[in-house]
Parts: sequence; structure tokens; C-alpha cells
Amino acid sequence: MDQQELRAWEARCIQEEPPGCRAGCPLGVDGRAFARTVAEGEMAAARAILEKSMPLTGIVARLCEAPCEQYCLRQALGGAVALGELERACVAAAPSQGKILRLPPRPKKVVVVGGGPSSLSLAFDLGKKGYPVTLFHSGEHPGGWLNRLPEQVLPAAVLEEELARLQDLGVSFLPMSQLSPQLYQEAEGCYLGQDDALPGAITSLLRQPDHLTFALPQTGWFSGGTSDEDDRFRFISDISQGREAAISLDRFLQGASLTASRVALRHGRTELFTRTDQVTPRQRILPADPRGYSRGEALQEASRCLDCQCLECVRHCQYLQAFGAYPKVYARRIYNNSAIVRGNHQANTLINSCSLCRQCETLCPNDFSMADLCLEARQTMVREERMPPSAHWFALEEMRSARSEGALRRHAPGTTNSRALFFPGCQLAGTRPEQTLALYERLRELEPETGIWLDCCAAPAHWAGSTTEFAAILEQLETGWSEMGRPRLITACSSCLQIFRQHLPTVPVESAWVVLAAHPQAATGTPRPALALSDPCTSRDDPQTQAAVRTILARLDQALAPLAMSGEQTECCGFGGLMESANPKLARQVAAARVAQTEAEILTYCAMCRDQLARAGRPVSYLLDLLLPEQALPAATAPVTISARRSQRRQLKAELLARYAPQEGPAPAPWEALKLNISEPVAVMMEERRILEDDLRQLLYLADQKRLKESIDPTDPAKTRGSCFIHPESGARIASARLGQVTFWVEYQQEAGVYRIERCWSHRMVIQGGRP
Amino acid sequence: MNLSFLPADMNWRCQSCGATLQPGMVELHYLGNVFRVELPVCPSCSAVLISEELATGRMLEIEQLLEDK
Repeated sequence: MDQQELRAWEARCIQEEPPGCRAGCPLGVDGRAFARTVAEGEMAAARAILEKSMPLTGIVARLCEAPCEQYCLRQALGGAVALGELERACVAAAPSQGKILRLPPRPKKVVVVGGGPSSLSLAFDLGKKGYPVTLFHSGEHPGGWLNRLPEQVLPAAVLEEELARLQDLGVSFLPMSQLSPQLYQEAEGCYLGQDDALPGAITSLLRQPDHLTFALPQTGWFSGGTSDEDDRFRFISDISQGREAAISLDRFLQGASLTASRVALRHGRTELFTRTDQVTPRQRILPADPRGYSRGEALQEASRCLDCQCLECVRHCQYLQAFGAYPKVYARRIYNNSAIVRGNHQANTLINSCSLCRQCETLCPNDFSMADLCLEARQTMVREERMPPSAHWFALEEMRSARSEGALRRHAPGTTNSRALFFPGCQLAGTRPEQTLALYERLRELEPETGIWLDCCAAPAHWAGSTTEFAAILEQLETGWSEMGRPRLITACSSCLQIFRQHLPTVPVESAWVVLAAHPQAATGTPRPALALSDPCTSRDDPQTQAAVRTILARLDQALAPLAMSGEQTECCGFGGLMESANPKLARQVAAARVAQTEAEILTYCAMCRDQLARAGRPVSYLLDLLLPEQALPAATAPVTISARRSQRRQLKAELLARYAPQEGPAPAPWEALKLNISEPVAVMMEERRILEDDLRQLLYLADQKRLKESIDPTDPAKTRGSCFIHPESGARIASARLGQVTFWVEYQQEAGVYRIERCWSHRMVIQGGRP
Repeated sequence: MNLSFLPADMNWRCQSCGATLQPGMVELHYLGNVFRVELPVCPSCSAVLISEELATGRMLEIEQLLEDK
């Protein structure tokens, strides 16, 4: 990702767009933060928010006609939040915090002719920037028509206080009588404020100022305060014109362009999307006292603010919530993560935790895709050899195991051709081997020439960002399919379906559920009490499969309980995108949040979703539990352990192979026969630490004294594979061996041919100068 | 990580050699980094014992730190 791409990504996320009130304020006051702060009762802090963007806050807050209210999304839900009234309540309750900081004095002098609101606003902004300003006013005091306002609207003391503050900012006030043509002709910058009575000599010089810069044809001259007396927003428009002219004058005095990179007023325009369909209408609070809100009324009125935010994606995604921000911020973090040369890559976990489920993309008004962002970042990390080796290690090992010891590709027994090929998916094969076989039988009833293909579709390699391995496996899959006579594939896994469709478009593939839905006689079974159907995230863009599942359920008379996020908006179970591998804790949270969305028993048609969601401690059924009553597992069945997934894949393969010729199966590895005694706490430890029974059996097999002695190579200790230690008092033993990228350890007791496992652990560091 | 990680209970024997483990300096390598640490080692065949506490504690911490470097 380069800077330009980053900006394109950032531009897609609209969360930082201003809310309507701010976009509609010509001064850019953060009305949302202001209302929130008033609602919290923090009046002094609320005033500070006003002062941040508002000149002469004591005056402006009292007189502002609140054009912002036109853009308030509360409008149709009880009336716009009364920001104007709240401003008045705020400045009445909280006095100014004191001195305003002024930048160091600058040499260029500004002359302001006119003392109306626009002139005061301009003098305030330029005074703050350090320019010495001389302001010539009509009448006795500066302020123009402000001096004629009733005391309850603008107390004389407030006007006086704000004028004194202007003087502190280096503004000098002089009566108009002292203005000589020489003064304004020789000034380096001049502003003519038309919202005050100007001398005839000046008005004769006035031309129409530019509508954006407020520049007059005379170089260095600017003019504003042109609002009509009957303008609804006369006061605030003049204040705004003074501010815009001040920006121009500052640019002019610095020799800069008046227009380059100038941010135009938004007049309420914003890209921010805020969902309001769930908002309950609440009527605007009317002040009991016509002079304005009491404190209580102000707090109540401010609490009507919707706190406009987009966060459409974040609201529904545990992953996006977990990192404390929103996609725009994440895009920058991900960019920075790859841009840094030295130091910690702090966004690695952020990048690797996304389930790539694309719910954000569906919910986002601008289709922002965290999946694309994270997947591209992962691919870069792998290419640049920066991917943490542990992040996807287990899932990739699992994939490689399913593609070797668990893999099988055959025509149906007794046939030499396949018109269809059943590709159940490695997770179904690993978690529900009996149901896999029964489903295969059902498919063969529909099409006897249905071959079987146990394998993995390489989704883990894709999700891990490992483009090379992914491409290599895809090629092997395509070759395998060709060798079978290029039949149509039938898969029970939405992820497999997605991978084949997107990455092997020549391979015709369909969902097993679509096949069953098309054959009413094949989709029989027993209904249960209403079930909440959780669509797998990889079926998001597959309405055909989603509809087929619903057809099957309708045919079973299976009632469905509502589940908010389903169909196109469905959620991930926590396994997708290898979230479970890179961030198991978050994956648990995701599953827990998903099951909490319904009281009903959950039904899925993805084998991995079933076990992930069941891990959250709720009953979850798999579609085949309904369709295959004889092989049905109770909804409360515990998720299959990582060890069992491997051994069940092997058993399924052996069982299938036995149908062809009993002697055909591969001979089991010698360590497979070792008997283990694993208590429940140790089983949990193994699951958490991702240590397989297979791993322990290999360690224990190597730890056999004779084999160990034979394996020791005195000339090169690194060649020695395992080690074993014994505690002379307790009789406990610890065995260890390096298997692939990891060194595994197991503490055990040997009792009558059974290994009682006490604990096991592992590390990735390599021991040298000694040996495991 | 130039430290000593000797467990409280050093009473372990190497099954192959029969020798009691003794403190010894061992190098641990990960992602191009090397750490010299003191661990229980078999004086005869150099087999090293890494405790559960070390592997799931300090070692894991350092591995993760290095993976994010």
C-alpha cells in the first residue's frame, strides 16, 4: 500500500465526516461534542468547546441563530436539538475561562473600518494571529447594532467584556471621526465591515466583494457584513463573513494564495451516515421560563442529541470493536505497520485477527472492506517474510494434514467414472465422519457415479496470505479434478464453495444443500422446536445456497426463530480468516456474541460454525442432524477436539478405502498404537496449547529408551531427535522432541502400557549448544 | 535474556545416560536472535530440560516480541 492507496482507503470510511450540525455551522462548532458535554452537566467544558471554534463566545453564543438546527437528524424525531438555546444556557451558566492566547506580534498592520459583528469577528481572528488591528467604529462604542439590543438579549456587561478581550488581543478602537483616507490607503491590509454605518467616502469605494474570499478589487482590501437585515441568519452570517475575510487577509499579508487548499463552507453537506431507524422520537424541551433553559432543562434537551456517528460496521463486529477505533484509523495503522523499518509492528494482531467475513463491506454505505485491507496486508507480510510464524501455523499444519494423511480421491466403488464428485470439506470430514459418509450415500442414491474427494480447498493458505502455497494447491486441485474426468463438484462447505468459485472458475461446483433441495425425496428428516439459522459467513454472497437450506427446512416443517444478522448480513463464528488461529481469545468473544443474539437453539450448515458456536456453551445443531436422524448428534455435543479432528479424518479415509479393498489403506504409523490416559484438565490444556495426541504419541514413541539411545548421534547432537528425563523420586518422566517448527514437551507416568499424561507444553525457540 | 532458568527441582536424570542434570549454558535461537541462558543439561549427552513455566512464560513472551519486531 502506498500513500495514495492509503488515502483512497481512508476516504472510504466516513466516520470522521462531521455531523450535520457541525457541517451546518459556518464557524464549524462541534455541536455533537457540545451537546454531549452539556448532557453530562459539564457546562465549563461545554463552553470551552464553543470557544474553540467561536470568536467572541459571550456575544456569538447569545445571538447565534443556530443554522445548524436545520441539519439535525433529530428534526423528524421530535424536533432538532435546540443547540441555539443550549449555547445561551451554557454561556449564561459558565463564565469565560479567561485569557485567550495570542501569537507573537507581527509587523503588518490591519485597518478595520466599521465596528459591526463582522468587523469584531475579523478583528478577533487577526488579533489572535498577532496582527495589530486598528478598528474605526460608528457611534460611541464598537459593536454597531449590537449596542441597541435589549439587556436580556445581550447584557451590556458581556459586550464590554468581549471588547476588553479584543483589546487584550492587540485591537485598538477609534471613533470613525478619526479615520483619514491616508490611514486606510496606507494600511497593509484593510477590511470594510458593511454591518456598521460607514462614512460616505468609504461606501463610494465599495464594490461587490468576491463571494468566497471577500476580496475587493482594490489589492489588500476585503469587505463583509453584507447580510440583509431580514436574513434569518443575519448575525451568524456576518460573523462568518468576518472570519472568512480574516482568513483571506492573513493569507494576503503572508503573500499566500487566497484560494489554494481553502476549505469551503459545507452548508450542512456531510457524507456521515447515521442510522436513525431504531431511534425513539423525543419531543424538544421548551423552556418553562421564556428567558431560557434552566440547568435541568438544558441537560435534558442536550440528552436528545443522537451523537451522530456512522460506525455501522463497528456496531456489529466484535473484531472492529476490539481494537478501539474504526476502519479509517485501522487503514492508517495497517499502512504504518508496513511502512516502519525498525521497531515493533504493532498492527500485526489487528491484521491477522480479521475473519475476512465481509460483513463490514455489506453494512458500510461506502463498501469499506476490512477483508481486502487485511488480506492484502497479510500477503505483503508473507512476501516480505514479516508474518509472525506462530500466527497461522496451526491452521496451516491442519490444512497440510488434511491434504496428506486425510486426503483421498476415488470414483465410487465399482465404478470407473465420476459424473459428480463429493468434496465434503476437511472440517466436516474431521468433525462428523459418520454424517459425511451418510451424506455421501444419499448423494450416491441421487447419482450413483458420485466419486469422493477428501481434501482441503486451501482456504487456510489463502486466508493466511500465503499466495505461493495457495496457488500451488489450487493447481494440484485442478489437476486432481481433471484426473477424475472433470466432473461437477458437490461440496458441503461454504468456504470450499467460495474458494472453488472465485479461484478455480473452470471447476463446476455446487452446494450439497442445493442438490438436496432439488430432490425432495433426499431432504427428509425430523423437525425440532424453532431454530435460529446462522448462515456461514462464506455464504454471504451465495443467496442460492441460503435459499436451498431454507427450502430444505421448510420441507421438514422446521420452524425458524428470528436471528437479526443473517443472510447477506450474517456474522462469522470466529473461525473465518483464521481468526481462531491468530487470536483465539477474540474468536471466543465473537462466538459468544453471536450465540447471545438468540434464545433459541442455533442451527448452522457449516461444520466449523457448528463447533465454534458450540464452544460458547450453547446447544448448536448442524443441518445434517436434522436430515440424518440415525446419525444425528445431540445439539449439546461438545466440539470435536483438535486431536480428534485429525484422527477422525484418518478413520474416515480408512473406512472409505476399505470399501474398495481392505488391504488398500496406508499402514498406521507405529506411534499411533500408544495408549494415552488424558484427564479432562489435560485435554483442555492440549486444546489451548494446540498440542495434539499425535504429537504426544510421537514424543513418547521416541522417548522409548532403546530408540532414544539409537537416535543419539554423538558427533552432531542436533541430529538427535528426542530426549527423555526421569525423576528418580516420583518416577515422573519428561519427554521432548522437535516436530516441525515446534519443540513439544510432555510430562507423564508410565503405568502398565498406558501413558498417563500430566501436562504438556511447547516452544518455538530452537535449542542449540545443548539439545532437547 | 542472558539469565539463569534453573528449576527449583533439579533432581532429573537423563534417561539415556543415567546422569543427573547439571546447570549448563545453552543457546536459544529464534528468528535470527540468540540468547545464552543457564538451563539444566545432561553432562554426558547435552540434552536440555526446558520447564513448562519457562516455555509458557518468559520464552513465549520473547517469541511473540520477536515475531512483532
